Amino acid sequence: MSASRELRLTVNGISRVIAEVPDDERLLDTLRWRLGLKGTKEGCRTGGCGACTVLVDGRSVLSCLTLSREVEEQAVTTVEGLAEDPVGSQVQAAFVREAGLQCGYCTPGFVMALTGLLREDPRRSAEELLEELHGNLCRCTGYVAISRAVRSLTEER
Amino acid sequence: MTRPDARAKVGGSTLFGMDLDRPGMLWGALVPSPVGHGRLLALDLEAARRVPGVVAVIGPKEVGELLPAGRGDPARPAFPTGELLYRGQPIAAVAARSRSAAREAASRVRAELEPLPVLADLDAVFPDWPGAEAASTAPVNAHVRARWGEVDSEFARAEHVRRDEFRTSGVLQVPLEPHACLAEVAGGKWRVTSSTQTPFGVREDTAEILGLPQESVVVEGSWVGGGFGAKGAALLEPYALLLAAASGAPVRLALSYREEFALTRSTLPARFWIESAVRGGRLVARKVRLILDTGASLPGRDFATGYAIGFLLGPYRLDAFDVEGYAVRTNKPPFGPHRAPFVPQCVFATDGHTDSLARELRVDPIEFRERNVWHEGDRTPLGQSVGPFAAGALLALARALAARWRRELPEGTGIGVGLGYWSTNSGAGGEARLRLSARELTIVEGEREIGSGSVVRGLSAVAERVLGVPPEAVRVEYADTAVGPYDSGVFGSRTLGALGQAVEEAAREIARELRSRLTSTDPVRLFRRGELLIARSGAREAPVEELLTPEERRGGGLLASGRHYGKGGSIDEGRVVSGEFYPYTDFTAAVHLAAVQVDRETGQLTVIRYAAYHDAGTVVDAPTFIAQVEGGVVMGLGTALTEESLWGPDGRLENPSLLDYRLPTIGEVPPIEVHPVEGFPGAGPFGAKGIGEPPIVPVAAAVANALADATGVRIHDLPLTPERVARALMLS
Repeated sequence: MSASRELRLTVNGISRVIAEVPDDERLLDTLRWRLGLKGTKEGCRTGGCGACTVLVDGRSVLSCLTLSREVEEQAVTTVEGLAEDPVGSQVQAAFVREAGLQCGYCTPGFVMALTGLLREDPRRSAEELLEELHGNLCRCTGYVAISRAVRSLTEER
Repeated sequence: MTRPDARAKVGGSTLFGMDLDRPGMLWGALVPSPVGHGRLLALDLEAARRVPGVVAVIGPKEVGELLPAGRGDPARPAFPTGELLYRGQPIAAVAARSRSAAREAASRVRAELEPLPVLADLDAVFPDWPGAEAASTAPVNAHVRARWGEVDSEFARAEHVRRDEFRTSGVLQVPLEPHACLAEVAGGKWRVTSSTQTPFGVREDTAEILGLPQESVVVEGSWVGGGFGAKGAALLEPYALLLAAASGAPVRLALSYREEFALTRSTLPARFWIESAVRGGRLVARKVRLILDTGASLPGRDFATGYAIGFLLGPYRLDAFDVEGYAVRTNKPPFGPHRAPFVPQCVFATDGHTDSLARELRVDPIEFRERNVWHEGDRTPLGQSVGPFAAGALLALARALAARWRRELPEGTGIGVGLGYWSTNSGAGGEARLRLSARELTIVEGEREIGSGSVVRGLSAVAERVLGVPPEAVRVEYADTAVGPYDSGVFGSRTLGALGQAVEEAAREIARELRSRLTSTDPVRLFRRGELLIARSGAREAPVEELLTPEERRGGGLLASGRHYGKGGSIDEGRVVSGEFYPYTDFTAAVHLAAVQVDRETGQLTVIRYAAYHDAGTVVDAPTFIAQVEGGVVMGLGTALTEESLWGPDGRLENPSLLDYRLPTIGEVPPIEVHPVEGFPGAGPFGAKGIGEPPIVPVAAAVANALADATGVRIHDLPLTPERVARALMLS
């Protein structure tokens, strides 16, 4: 059993102090089961599907491969906080407009990953963005409508 | 039109089975059989019970104590008591206060086993087409055979005969969301909320497995993170309910991805032999042999063989045929449905064979299909009458596009056509309830939307067409199996085609009622004025609010219900020699065109263009239709190019992860043109035909045929991995 300690982090702009978090707990589980933020989806838990993508200090990370302890004192953004982010809300709007989703299980991961990429470098081309998104899997759409949403974002500029 | 579920899904507020939570909830875990085949001698649960945080550990003995009748269906026990049939088969289950405690306890269950020989390879039983003796001693779940016409003499008189043998691998559904459910047992009700395509099917299965009256089991669907057939029958629900009964607490049970890969009932390996006779440029006779791995399916529960085998004959006029298939019982998880179960594999074989036949005869492959394909009024080999069927029209369109591609695409590009068809499964029927209030029209369903849009858009679009109601004023409300209208489930491309008929009937009843209340005989249209719905018929109009009776206003609205009972087709039993054949209904054709380039050094095959022509009947919601085709094509590209479940000789799935089982990724998708063709109506509302499965059906065939066009080499195995392609090119 690993040791449990208090964990401090900021989630969607709110400072959180969580008691008794084991050192080996994944950020995915802290967000979902301690903070009730179920928008971050649990997929493969091995970094292969991208469904659990969140932002840590603006960069996209896979929350299933990130220990909560690693993000101590940092700012985590989940899909629930994305509407407050000007880039994130644009990305969400593009997925709605282009119907870049079907079952919706991969959707939070896609919108988080794309938001992270655009925040990192807003000048990225659609081709560069699509290349960077290869770690996010979708089984429903065949990526066609998702790619359309990505292109519509770069055409807006 | 924005998809009604889009905003919640991009905002992360949609709750799926994996997200279910209750105060005091326990975490469940299954204990997998560690062997592919064996006899269970003893089960020691004590070490598992001592793990801190564990609340319940159950095996076969505990199940007997937990169930009111003392046991469930002996033919389908929750946990096996004697023979273990496949690796990973649940032999016990635990519930604990944390995920890690549950996993830890599950790993401490000790099973005393006598290992038995594992059968995991079809070649071990049937190295070649079985003679009568081999077939009588092999573990065969089902044997089907049908025959018609003078097969031998047609082959004897043929001007050209070709024979091919094919092999296909297993493929897995891999919905992004693993199976998950949450169970609660209280007050004599066994209640489970589950990420399922078929709440009523899960109720039926669960009641049967647990030996409970159907009324005692209540299933509520959650949002479903993809199903593709995997979530079409009870899998976790009986275990979760037993754990809830044993612990007295709500229990969440979800599969890890590793378990999802290894336990899911999916498509398994198969071998095919196809032989055709041609005379005067016509296909006159065909012989088909199939050996299908059906895993640890129970005898008599094989659904695939008699259903798949008809697809192997292809949608062609034949004067004679002989088809025969064996479903072989192996030590793998039972065979289960994967989007158009096993049909992409059948079409890969039969259409690849047909394509090679045309090339050998130096006839354009599309023209050859056009000469032989069914038209309305033809008889299928099993004697069914073919209804409106667009295959001929689709082939003509594909021929024109192929000619254009030949001119436009770079030299060395291979162009292949794939011709397949699908028969909409009408299921066991369904019911829809509609409620018209002052402000909205509500469709009450026992189904859930699984992502395809068939519920949130398809059913809604039917009501919109009948009543003219704007989509923004239509809402779908989901009910559990205790109160919701029955439907057999979201599968078989049946939601729009079959359940849509129930919605249409209910909507027409509302229209009739509104006409009568408006004292008009003209068609009714509903439109919005501000928040209120207004009904107009001819020159008369009134707010719906004023047309409702006082009781209806208090009771929520004007109610109507519609029913659709599944109508199976009928086959000519005189042509059946043995076994059961599936009575197809409501045919829909699909013709796909793939353009590929091949790197002869590495064997890497790249699909550079793709076009999909579909026999739509009537398109009721174009964006949803197109999205289904795009998604189906890409899933089919996975089957064609990379996806393969690799089973070891010990019955172990050797690639149970996303790193080793390769799904298509965003960079690998070619431009896809989607062309719905209307005018060949089906049985669905306004002549609609289902579109969930047809798009995956011809994909592997089209790609393999394009590869043959590019290289002159026919590859007889799926998937078309670079290794396989490179080897075939080297040997050619």
